[in-house]
Amino acid sequence: MSDDKYVVKHMVLKILLHVFLLILVAIILLPVCWLILNSLKTNQEMFLNSLALPKEWRFVNYVTAWSKGLVSYFKNSIIISAISIFFILALSSLMAYGLTRFNLPGSGFLFILVLGGMALSEQVALVPLYKILQALKLYNTRAALVLPYVAFRIPFTMFLMRSYFISIPKELEEAAIVDGCNSLQRFLRIILPISKPVLASCAIVNLNNVWNEFLFANVFLENRKLMTIPIGLMTFQGDLKTDYAVMLAGILIASLPMVVLFLCMSKQFVRGLTSGAVKG
Amino acid sequence: MKKKTKLTPYLYIIPGLLMVLGFVYIPIAVNLVYSFFRLSSYSSSMKFVGLDNFRRLFTSETFPIMIRNNVYYAVISLIVQVGFGTALALLLESKLASERFRSICRNIYFIPALVSLTAVGLMFNFIYNPQFGMLNTFLKNIGLPQLQQTWLGDKNLAIFCIIAMSQWQFTGYITLLMVVAFQNISSDYVEAAIIDGAGPVKRALSIMLPLAKEQLLVCSIITVIGAFKLFTEVYSTTSGGPGNSSQVLGLFLYQNAFLHDDMGMAAATGVLIFVITVTASIFQLRISHSGEV
Amino acid sequence: MKKNLKKMLCLALAAMMAMGATACGGSSSSDSGATTAAAAAEAADGGSSDSGAAAAATDGDVKVIKLFHRFPDDPANSFIEEKIAEYEAAHPDIKFEVTSAQNQPYKEKIKVVVGSDETPDIFFSFCGEFSERFIREGLLLDLTPYLEADSEWKASLMETQMNEYTTSDGMVYGIPFRLDAKEFFYNVDMFNELGLEVPETWDEFIEVLDAIQAAGIVPIAEGNQDKWPACHYIGALNAQLVPQEIRDADYNAATGEFTDPGYVEALEKYQQLVSYMNMGVNGMTHDMARLGFTQGQNAILYAELVEITNIKDENPDLNWGMFSFPVIEGAKGDPELVSGAPEGFAISSSTQYPDECVEFLKWFLGAEVGAQQADQVGWFNASLGVDEGLTDESLISAYEVIANAKKMDIWFDNALYSTVCDEYLAEISDVTNGDITPADAMVKIQAVAKEAQTLAQ
Repeated sequence: MSDDKYVVKHMVLKILLHVFLLILVAIILLPVCWLILNSLKTNQEMFLNSLALPKEWRFVNYVTAWSKGLVSYFKNSIIISAISIFFILALSSLMAYGLTRFNLPGSGFLFILVLGGMALSEQVALVPLYKILQALKLYNTRAALVLPYVAFRIPFTMFLMRSYFISIPKELEEAAIVDGCNSLQRFLRIILPISKPVLASCAIVNLNNVWNEFLFANVFLENRKLMTIPIGLMTFQGDLKTDYAVMLAGILIASLPMVVLFLCMSKQFVRGLTSGAVKG
Repeated sequence: MKKKTKLTPYLYIIPGLLMVLGFVYIPIAVNLVYSFFRLSSYSSSMKFVGLDNFRRLFTSETFPIMIRNNVYYAVISLIVQVGFGTALALLLESKLASERFRSICRNIYFIPALVSLTAVGLMFNFIYNPQFGMLNTFLKNIGLPQLQQTWLGDKNLAIFCIIAMSQWQFTGYITLLMVVAFQNISSDYVEAAIIDGAGPVKRALSIMLPLAKEQLLVCSIITVIGAFKLFTEVYSTTSGGPGNSSQVLGLFLYQNAFLHDDMGMAAATGVLIFVITVTASIFQLRISHSGEV
Repeated sequence: MKKNLKKMLCLALAAMMAMGATACGGSSSSDSGATTAAAAAEAADGGSSDSGAAAAATDGDVKVIKLFHRFPDDPANSFIEEKIAEYEAAHPDIKFEVTSAQNQPYKEKIKVVVGSDETPDIFFSFCGEFSERFIREGLLLDLTPYLEADSEWKASLMETQMNEYTTSDGMVYGIPFRLDAKEFFYNVDMFNELGLEVPETWDEFIEVLDAIQAAGIVPIAEGNQDKWPACHYIGALNAQLVPQEIRDADYNAATGEFTDPGYVEALEKYQQLVSYMNMGVNGMTHDMARLGFTQGQNAILYAELVEITNIKDENPDLNWGMFSFPVIEGAKGDPELVSGAPEGFAISSSTQYPDECVEFLKWFLGAEVGAQQADQVGWFNASLGVDEGLTDESLISAYEVIANAKKMDIWFDNALYSTVCDEYLAEISDVTNGDITPADAMVKIQAVAKEAQTLAQ
């Protein structure tokens, strides 16, 4: 009897939980559906009734959005992200390696010093960075974004890698030392291959950050040919005239790559986050 | 020879260290210096004004509004993103639903975090539009037109609309992080608790949460810092309006630097953001360390 | 310098990796690591290759002129590009580098680049305070001598418009690219149906609005989310309600006080209009609100002449007309002022090629290109006679508004010092929502104006 009661209670809880989780799914997805619907209309149709189906499905809006400069924004975002991620991972892993494998005097201090960078926000550095980049003649170049991106992402990435490297047993390296490999070779041949999961997670987190970064990209670039996606999207919004449907189409196209990438790699991503926290 | 082996390891650290010093620490130090000067973006002259920038910042009409808005953002984000997000993670880990269903939900909740802030801001401009936005259209169609609002155009609602948008975007992020943290908890603990007869609620409160405490604290530190860095969300929606009702520190800094050519004032605002975020981080770290073994 | 450092860093990294590879049995994975690093170093360089190429070109015979404008939307953008290409073809020694941004980002970006090494040779600049703050720093080229030297050119430009690009000391600093003014657009069919006449005075205007409202139609379409659209009402009302000399002193940051009662009255008049506007004025952008007018939901729209093409795009069948800002009888200001301003290009004082830039502007903003521009874009420049080939009735009447104007009153948001403007716009937005009384709003503006007196020096 009590078993039955338990089963019933369990069932009710189960159903309630499913309903609740599905409501949340709806909260996330409904706005997106509404936007997709309206991205296929004209401004006028959207204005008159944003819930109605379009008279004519204007897939051409996507073509227009794409040809309105999205290609070049994508290219820039890819170049800047790729270079930034490479240097973030390279410099952070080298640093984590140096900090964890040698018992260096002062490494504790250096760790705290770099980690402290995590608490410092980009805004605080905005004005001086702008002046410094101008003085270095880097303003309005890709380097103007890559340098601060790398610098601001190192602390956190180094932190994640450090905790991962600490967990790697020293014995693994001992064989290589016997073979006569120097420390750099040990890093490249033993530590890095073993750290693939954490490297992958760091890459995704940093990619999401760099890909979507707005503040620096908005201030340090002036040339439209160098603009990244987040800035490029803002140019869809005109002063006296905006083609809203095309803008929505642009937003959806621009958002797609990261979402698809995540959905394809979500398993690996979750697996890689075995230590430390990830948000940035 | 011996000396060389001692110095080589530092070579691994130096490149990254130089980057962080050069592009994070030095600018922040320079920012402090700038905050005592009057300087503009297009002229090289600098004039020492002492604490005048700070006086103007603290006596500005918008100062209390900005602080209030940033604090609202921080508090609501802590409650919704960290609080509700963690509860959601516990529900997802409660094993009442199938593994497949849970991971699909989890991934969907995470999707908004992958979209750029500007895209989300532009999207919500539509959703909140008083004439044809999703919210008002929805309210009209379910027969509640009296609930229609101006949303972003309403002094009392604008900042909350922006905050709500951020919760939509980032709650799933914290949920995912907490799910990972809960999955990292050794199943021995949980099984031991089940043997002890602890129900699901008790298990969550006495086993799962304490063991994921560190993750929880990192999440809240980052959330609070994020609240005081707030910029793009406001820039891409209201730009601080209507009036100055949704003004925040980050946007105020930006506008002073690049709209009013008052870079000294911007630097002073930067110093304030710096003080607030660093204090908040130290404070929260203290709490976390005090409870540690 | 730092750039080299970074490159060196890349190379060092690559070298390190390569070293690791050769010394320890040559694993292929680290080899590829080295190539990636080198490739990355190369790519990192790519960003500046544009300016590098430009510098190289300058050494030769080609003169590179950088131009920065704020018209990134078509048809204007393609028109500009097309004309520049034409000019380049006719002048093989000149090459343009053009970049553009939307209005709001433009206002921020131009301040950042002007005065830096990146400063464009020719750039868009609003007349009034927007440009005058650059002039105070000596950043704009004085065009007066060029105009004096070429009297034919000087005579070909519309005087009322050139006045707006002239400082009180007589320095000309810009040449108009498009002329613009703000007018009330109205739905002719609606007016006819309700038997309404075009209002000429403020009282008639209110009567018309009442009649439209009584018919169950929301009279005015307005969207003020970006804060600038509604301020043009205030600009026009101030012009009528505040005597010119007082306004001149107040709009000057060094002497601005804003204590005249006319300012409060202007806000009150505006407040009166708000009750006739669509809901959610502050929650919508101007162009979203314009859809209300073009889709026949509202009877009246206060809009710029340059929007005529947009209105026609959005609803080609709409039967619309225009009327000027109604006259407030007995007011102390000038009712004949036309709210609006020419918008044009200025030349940087640090340009290497001042003569070439002037020559280009002479052509680009001259009558020949102007006529094509009027035809293809629907915008006029300040050269006399650009309207001659026009056939479109609405454009002709738009041109008349400006051609008949005795004096322009420049955009309110361009006339004020930036902090005062910011405060004013914020207060207008609050008045729109009914969150503050006009009198209290002016008190706040006065405080900011007082602070600006010291900042502007």
